[in-house]
Amino acid sequence: MSITYTIDGVEVSAEPNDTILSSAAKAGIEIPTLCFDKRTAIYGACGVCLVEVEGVPKLLRACSAKPQEGYVVSTKTERVERARKTALELLLSDHTGDCRGPCKLNCPAMTDCQKYIGEIREGRYKDAVSTIYEAFPFPASIGRVCPHPCEDACRRQMVEEPISIAFLKAFAADKVEADGDPYVVQCEPSTGKHVAIVGGGPAGLTAAYFLRRYGHDVTIYDKQPKMGGMLRYGIPEYRLPKDVLDREIAIIQNAGAKMVNDVRLGEELDFDELRANNDAVLLAIGAWKSYNMRVPGEDLEGVIGGIEFLERLGLGERPVLGERVAVCGGGNTAMDCCRTAVRLGAKEVYVVYRRTRAEMPAADVEIEEAIEEGVTFKFLTNPIEFYGENGRLAGMRLQVMELGEPDASGRRRPVPVEGATEDIAIDNVLMAIGQGANCEGVADELLTQRGTIACDELTFRTAMDNVFAAGDVTNRGAGIAIQAIAEAQKAALCINNYLEGDEVRAHVPYFVEQELGPEDFEDRPKQKREQMPGLSPEERRNNFEPIYFGFTEEQAHREASRCLECGCHDYYDCRLIRFANQFEVAPERFAGEMHHREHMDVAREVIVHDPNKCVLCGLCYRMCDQEVGKTYLGLYNRGFSTVVNPMVPEEARTFCASCLKCVEACPTGAMRSVPAVSRCTCIV
Amino acid sequence: MDVYDDEGALHRLVRVQAKDAKAIHQAATTGDLSLVDKLLITPEDDEFLQQQTRVALRHCGVIDPESIDDYLAHDGYQAIAKILSDGMSQEDVIQQIDIAGLRGRGGAGFSTAFKWRAARDAKGDRKYLICNADEGDPGAFMDRAVIEGDPHSLIEGMLIGAYSIGASEAIVYVRAEYPLAIVRLTKAIEDATARGYLGEHICGSDFSCTLRIKAGAGAFVCGEETALIESLEGKRGMPRLKPPFPAQAGYWLKPSNINNVETYANVAWIINHGGEAFAAMGTKDSKGTKVFALSGKIARGGLVEVPMGTTLRQVIFNIGGGIRDGKEFKAVQLGGPSGGCVPASKLDTVIDYNELAATGAIMGSGGMVVMDETTCMVSMARFFLDFTAKESCGKCVHCRLGTKRMLEILDRLVQGQGADGDIQKLEELCYAIKDGALCGLGQTAPNPVLTTIRYFRDELEAHITDKRCPAGECRELITYTIDEDACRGCTACARQCPVQAISGAPKQPHRIDPAACIKCGNCKTACRFNAVLVS
Repeated sequence: MSITYTIDGVEVSAEPNDTILSSAAKAGIEIPTLCFDKRTAIYGACGVCLVEVEGVPKLLRACSAKPQEGYVVSTKTERVERARKTALELLLSDHTGDCRGPCKLNCPAMTDCQKYIGEIREGRYKDAVSTIYEAFPFPASIGRVCPHPCEDACRRQMVEEPISIAFLKAFAADKVEADGDPYVVQCEPSTGKHVAIVGGGPAGLTAAYFLRRYGHDVTIYDKQPKMGGMLRYGIPEYRLPKDVLDREIAIIQNAGAKMVNDVRLGEELDFDELRANNDAVLLAIGAWKSYNMRVPGEDLEGVIGGIEFLERLGLGERPVLGERVAVCGGGNTAMDCCRTAVRLGAKEVYVVYRRTRAEMPAADVEIEEAIEEGVTFKFLTNPIEFYGENGRLAGMRLQVMELGEPDASGRRRPVPVEGATEDIAIDNVLMAIGQGANCEGVADELLTQRGTIACDELTFRTAMDNVFAAGDVTNRGAGIAIQAIAEAQKAALCINNYLEGDEVRAHVPYFVEQELGPEDFEDRPKQKREQMPGLSPEERRNNFEPIYFGFTEEQAHREASRCLECGCHDYYDCRLIRFANQFEVAPERFAGEMHHREHMDVAREVIVHDPNKCVLCGLCYRMCDQEVGKTYLGLYNRGFSTVVNPMVPEEARTFCASCLKCVEACPTGAMRSVPAVSRCTCIV
Repeated sequence: MDVYDDEGALHRLVRVQAKDAKAIHQAATTGDLSLVDKLLITPEDDEFLQQQTRVALRHCGVIDPESIDDYLAHDGYQAIAKILSDGMSQEDVIQQIDIAGLRGRGGAGFSTAFKWRAARDAKGDRKYLICNADEGDPGAFMDRAVIEGDPHSLIEGMLIGAYSIGASEAIVYVRAEYPLAIVRLTKAIEDATARGYLGEHICGSDFSCTLRIKAGAGAFVCGEETALIESLEGKRGMPRLKPPFPAQAGYWLKPSNINNVETYANVAWIINHGGEAFAAMGTKDSKGTKVFALSGKIARGGLVEVPMGTTLRQVIFNIGGGIRDGKEFKAVQLGGPSGGCVPASKLDTVIDYNELAATGAIMGSGGMVVMDETTCMVSMARFFLDFTAKESCGKCVHCRLGTKRMLEILDRLVQGQGADGDIQKLEELCYAIKDGALCGLGQTAPNPVLTTIRYFRDELEAHITDKRCPAGECRELITYTIDEDACRGCTACARQCPVQAISGAPKQPHRIDPAACIKCGNCKTACRFNAVLVS
């Protein structure tokens, strides 16, 4: 005879054999659990399914408690939430591993590098591109120009060199394009909401892409004749051919984003009107103004802002430079400037940088290639004066520097060497020490003291209700493209929440991470990083031809196969990480001793157990025992030392039929079946 | 040992050891009792015994545990014989247990009659009666004393239980660390079987019951009844979820009843004397007597059995003779790792399941550890928690990891690395574990810490804020110095120092080098002038 009772006010009926958990499941109410599986006997280990029943002093385990007629069950009380959260936090306080690889965690846009690298390795290029599009819509462009924080974090460098993650990204996008099967954006049905985006650079375009996916109407307004922002007007053709950018912008346009060019905020565009005529406005106007050096002589003819110089180039001009050009600064813009100067025919090109090469923020490969192209680096020098004749630049005086104590950024601070100066004769100076925003036309109340737009760092909301901001124009100022893209991706989600009437709230996802060192990879055979084929310095220094040819398919496969696959194989199915984020855990409050145990080969390297990810739910050995009738696995030791191990290792290795029921039942990534492919590689 | 002289006068010898045998033999053969003067019972010993009421321990030290005849001469097997010959029904027997108000002596204090009825009423073709003799609390040896001193009374109590629930098989789960208990129980089972008190047709009736011993493998958690059943079945000792309770689905999922040794040891007495006689002792909710293992900083320790309703003060100061070495009473720990400490202000609490629970401690199985002013309550809580954390079966998250994290906090505290908020974190974990742990072991594991927080919060705070151990026990937080005025320069301390940290010429005040001192305390023990100070 069935009984009825309520869970969180919903009436639920239960048969005599039902537990609270099973009857809730039938009613479509999910009660979280890690250790319950209906194929095995009730176990009750995890304590995540606790519920509160009116009139019952103790919390009950829903997996085992039988409901009674008229029970009033609550799953959302503070006591229940706290108990569940504590159980999860305790579990996570001794959970060692990497939910996601360091590459993904270090990418501002959280691109799933490991996933698309795996897809490339398997020849599934379209899947790889789709994976990248989950994070942002410029795989070919960003793949070419990104300073790739992912590679900085890549653990392969503990073996020899990092994976060439960025170029693999470009490879996948180019391959799909070459195969005539480009990515098509799938959009939700129209919501009828309108969003105006000011600025058609990486941030604005990315936001437009995501907002279109969510089903909102989007119009992008940009001051330049074409969309692309800094990708088009800040990065020279030899690094990013503009046809590549065009085709990626076209994909966004084809998704229905309207694009309006040659309109400038404060002129053709009125800020208040935009606000009034749209449900939301996103300001992504970038940072287009080179910082001044604040040294005498800056107003001399021949002293040019680096970013303005590149912009003119992007607009199709060919600025005329003298024979001797000095670029001030050590970032990627400085590299773009000096290498462009070489290509424009300057005979002597200097990069003047006040620290040493080790402190340069520019990507190492850029510095290397600039040297190859004949650029002279003057390290530990700082311009203190530009001097000239008849208002025209003739030279600069450099203060010789040395490195002192580390500053706030951790880099050693350059300090002047008393009385040591040097004069060099030059015709042009390109100032590339940083760039700021130009917020003309934006309401003053939105601005920071630095002239950028103030917005919340997690929700990207500004002081005005329906106005959001993202990219180089926000708080801290200019960064690399992928940072602007990441902000836009998150801002789009917040705008979507805002338009849907939900709470505009940013959830910072929780991941389990671990520190590893070279000693952890000593057994890995070395395999060199693939070299990108391209033009020789002689071939490239007098033109703007793309300098890289792109990986061949064979190269891409070889490179992709170097991936160490740091991120957990079970991330998408892991119940622990799902609940951890659902309950917004903070396990660090229970920080203490953690296990670092060897992985255990259960069955001939087909089934491998990682005790560091094990939550001791017992499902593996219970499945083996109760479903298969074998006892290949069991628990050893007591207390904190309890661990799942093969009961008799030789027996498991010899007789286990690898039915994988243990692997499939495991709620985390602790039990793993090693796919045949990588087993082969192991043997090779 | 009782010695009767030619006139039949009793001379009771106590604390007799093997090495005394020669002297006793000589005394007995020569009649010169002065040879055993040192062993004669003292008035203090007498006082220790006179204030007790022995029911469960009634035969201990009185009869020869290896002689069934001795047991029979002391009304042994009268109760089961009476039940069988008088044709008492199962309910008649349970009725007496009910009238007696017998509650489980293993710790939780559940009504024995209720459990027996539940097992009797449960449907099943086979039923089992189990004795929990997996006595694991540190410092507890009540059950051991019963099995080693009076194994037949356990057998008889179990027979009565088996009869009452309709079980034909009884099992004693005894820890393997009690080899003598196993030897004596084995012999008792053989003897009882030979005399027809075990096996087929007991006392010529239709009632048949066998009894066997299962030795445990040393896991504390196997004292938890469902873990004990798992262990009996040959599995890893891990608790099962309740319900179903063992009375419905226990050993091999058949109806089973589990009681501990002391509970069964009371049963024959109740049948012989009637439930009312038992119920006449004790308080409203707690009847009969309770055995305690009195230990710690007590003047006269040992096993004591007192009627329920006796105050803790009476047990500790009257029977136990108060604190050793004239020190001050600080607290008494009841119930071992599942229990808590009761401070001086609560010494007039009476021994009663509910009254003791109200203090935050529990009746427990009978561990009673007395602490004086030199006992650090933080270390004490740490000691018990260390025990449970190590003995956790590892199954449920709260117990396995919660106790571990609590222990880490206490470890930091005793090393002077406590931080603000540690007490709150401990409390939070305590309540989370109480709410979330699967079995009794886990649910009660926070009790020693909770009572320390409740009664000795200032001591915890001293460890955290002042990095000071008021009791002078935590090594990392104390320094040893020599009072130069009190020091006579006898060099005793310097000779005992294992690291040569004490310097000074003979007859001159000595000095301890704090950098070299390892705080072993040898100097303080060696000093006859109280010149070694701990701060």
